[in-house]
Amino acid sequence: MSKQNKKPLTAARVRKNMVNVLVHVFLAVLSFIWVLPVFWVVLTSFRGEKGSYVTTFFPKTYTFDNYIKLFTDTSILNFPKMFMNTLIIAIFTCIISTVFVLSVAYCMSRMRFKMRKPFMNVAMILGLFPSFMSMIAVYFILKALGMAEGSMIRVALIIVFSAGSGVGFYVAKGFFDTIPKSLDEAAIIDGASRWQVFTKITVPLSKPIIVYTILTSFMSPWIDFVFAKVICGANASQYTVSIGLWRMLEKEYIDSWYTCFAAGAVVISIPIAILFMVTQKFYVEGMSGAVKG
Amino acid sequence: MKKKALSLFLVGAMALSMIGCGSKGEDAAKNDTQAATPSTEATTQEDEPWSGTLTVWSPQEDQDTNWLQDQCEAFAKEHPNWTIEFSYGVCPEGEAKDNVAKDPEAAADVYMLANDNIPDLVAANALAELGGSYLDYVKSTNADSIAASVTYNDAVVAFPFTSNTWFMYYDKSVFSEDDVKSFDTMLEKAGEAGKKVSFPLTNSWYIEAFYAANGCSLFGDGTDENAGIDFGGDKAAAVTEYLVDLAANKNFVNDADGAGLSGLRDGNVAAIFTGTWDAQGVKEALGDNMGVAALPKVNIGGNEGQMKSFMGSKAIGVNPNAENQQVAMALAAYLASEEAQTAHYEARNILPSNINVTLSDDPIAVAVGQVMTDTSIMQPLVKSMGNYWSPAENMGKNIYSGEVTKDNAAEKTEEMNTTMNTDIAQ
Repeated sequence: MSKQNKKPLTAARVRKNMVNVLVHVFLAVLSFIWVLPVFWVVLTSFRGEKGSYVTTFFPKTYTFDNYIKLFTDTSILNFPKMFMNTLIIAIFTCIISTVFVLSVAYCMSRMRFKMRKPFMNVAMILGLFPSFMSMIAVYFILKALGMAEGSMIRVALIIVFSAGSGVGFYVAKGFFDTIPKSLDEAAIIDGASRWQVFTKITVPLSKPIIVYTILTSFMSPWIDFVFAKVICGANASQYTVSIGLWRMLEKEYIDSWYTCFAAGAVVISIPIAILFMVTQKFYVEGMSGAVKG
Repeated sequence: MKKKALSLFLVGAMALSMIGCGSKGEDAAKNDTQAATPSTEATTQEDEPWSGTLTVWSPQEDQDTNWLQDQCEAFAKEHPNWTIEFSYGVCPEGEAKDNVAKDPEAAADVYMLANDNIPDLVAANALAELGGSYLDYVKSTNADSIAASVTYNDAVVAFPFTSNTWFMYYDKSVFSEDDVKSFDTMLEKAGEAGKKVSFPLTNSWYIEAFYAANGCSLFGDGTDENAGIDFGGDKAAAVTEYLVDLAANKNFVNDADGAGLSGLRDGNVAAIFTGTWDAQGVKEALGDNMGVAALPKVNIGGNEGQMKSFMGSKAIGVNPNAENQQVAMALAAYLASEEAQTAHYEARNILPSNINVTLSDDPIAVAVGQVMTDTSIMQPLVKSMGNYWSPAENMGKNIYSGEVTKDNAAEKTEEMNTTMNTDIAQ
C-alpha cells in the first residue's frame, strides 16, 4: 500500500481508484442484500414478541425462550424427535450416497466399457427431470416393500435420498478426469489393483470434491420436504424437520410458533455448519505436489 | 418454492387418484350401499363378534389431550363383542385430502377432515356414504348449513363435529355492543379512538362477505352448479367501489401475514376478523376487553346488507376400504356424538356443532352460533367453486394496491365475474 501511495496521482490512477470504490460499494450493497434475510431469521429467532407480523426490523425485546420452547414443548410439535430423525437419516444418506457418487464417478472416469457413453447419456437425461415426478411411484414401491409404515420409514427415506444419488456423478467425474492418468498407470505398474488406485491415489487427491459430495448429500434430508411428506404421511413420530417447520406456519400454530420456526431454522443449520467446518480445510488442499516434472 | 412443490404434488396425487379409481368406481358404489345398509341396524341389533385393528387419524392435539384415546376406549367398552385394537396417526383435518386421497387403501379407517376436502376424497373413493340412523343423527342434530356442508352429490358423507368459519373479535373499550352491528360505525368509532379496524381484504375466503352482503351469490344456494357465480352487475360493482373507499380509509388496515393480531397486541387495531384458532392470541392481547361478535352489517351504496362468511365444517369420515365398515361407521358416529363433542370442547375448546350442546357462557360459542344461523352462507362444494378463489383474491389485491379505482370498478368487477364463470379446465 505505502509503495503505491508514493506514486504520483495520475488521471489514470484516479480513474482506477474511482472504479474500485464503485465496485466495492456495489459489492457491499449486494452482500448486504444477500445476508439480510439470514440476519433477519437469526434476529427473529431471538425475538421476544409473539406473532408473525412485526412493524419493526429489530425486535423490541430479546429472549432465548424460543429455543427453549422448541426443545421442551414437545406436545404438539416434537422438534427434538424430528431433529434426531433427520440427523440419523442425514448421516446414513451422507455415507451411502457419497460412496455411490464417488464409485460411479470413478468408473465413468477411468474405465472404458461398451455401455459407458449410453449410460452417461441416460443419466444426463434422467437428471433433467425433477425428482419428485417419480414421487407417487416411489411411494407405492416402498409401500409394496412394507417400508411405508412405522420405523421402516426412516430406512425408506434413507433409500430415497441416497439410492439415486449415483446418477449425480457428473461433477465428481469431471474432477477425476483432471487427475492425470499417468498416476494410475504408475501405480498399476507398481502392482496396485483398481481398488488400491482408487483408495490410495484418487481419493487423497480428490478431497475438495469429496467434501462437496459429503456436504450436499448431508444437506438433502434437511431441506427435502416433498418426499418426506409423502412417505411419512400420518406417522408423526417419523417426521423430519422440514415437515415440522412447515407445520409451525399453519394458521393454527403460526401465531405462537413463528419465532420458534425461526429458531428451528437456525438450529438445523448447526449440524451442517459443523460438518462444513470440519471438512472445509480439505477444500483448499488440492493437487499440489501430485505430479512433479 | 415449497408451496409450488406441494401444489405440484397435489396435482400429481389428484391425477393419480383419478387414474387409480377408474376401475374401482363401481366397487366403490357397491361398498357405499353395503356400508349404508347394515348401519341402519347397527344401533338396534346385537353386534356381531369381530376383532381387528382400527386406524384412526386425527390432529396431534386430539391425541396429546388424550381425547381421542379416551373416546376410543369408551367406544370399545360400549361394544364388548368387538375386540378392537386402535392405532393412531396424525393428520390435521385440512390435510386429509393429501394424506388420504394419496392412497386410500393404506389410509386410516376413520379420519377427520375439513369439509372442503370432500370432493377430492369422494373422487378418490375415500369416503363412505352415511345411511339410516346415522344420516338421521347428522341431519337432526346439526344446523342446516352444517349438514349441507357434508353433503356432496346428494349424499351425506361424514359426521360433522365442529364448524369452520370466521367472525369478529373486538376491543370492548373501543366499541359498544351496538357499534359492532355496523361495519361503518366501527370504522368511525375506531377513528375517534385513534385505532384501526383490520380486515383480510386480500384473502378470498374473507372478501366474499362484502359481495354476499350486497346480494351476490355463489351457485344459487351453494349447491346448484349450473347457477354459476353471480358476482357481476351493478350490485357487485357497488361493492367494489365500497372496497376501494375502504382500502383508502385511514381507519382501515389490511390484515395480511398476521398484521391484525399483531396490531391488537400493539393497541393499533381495535377489531379483527378471524376464527377460533386465534382465540388464545386475542385473549392474551385484549384480556377482559375481548369482545366476540357475529359479522356486522355494512352500508354499500345506501343499502344496508348483512356480511356473510363462508361456513364450512370439520367432520369425521369413514374410509370405504376399512376392513369392517360397520365398526368403523359406529366409531365415527361415536366420535361425533353429543358426549364426545362436549368432551372435545372441554379438552380443546372445539366448539360442538351439535345443536343440543349449549354453551351460553362462552362468548365465542354464542357468536359462532349466530354466525351459523344468521351471518353465513354455506361454502359451496361444487367443482366449479375452484374457479372462485384466484379471481377474488386478485380483486382484493388490486383494490388494495390501488389498481382498481372507482373509475374502473365496474369494468374490473365484470372481468372478475367472467373469469369466475369460465372453466379453465375446458
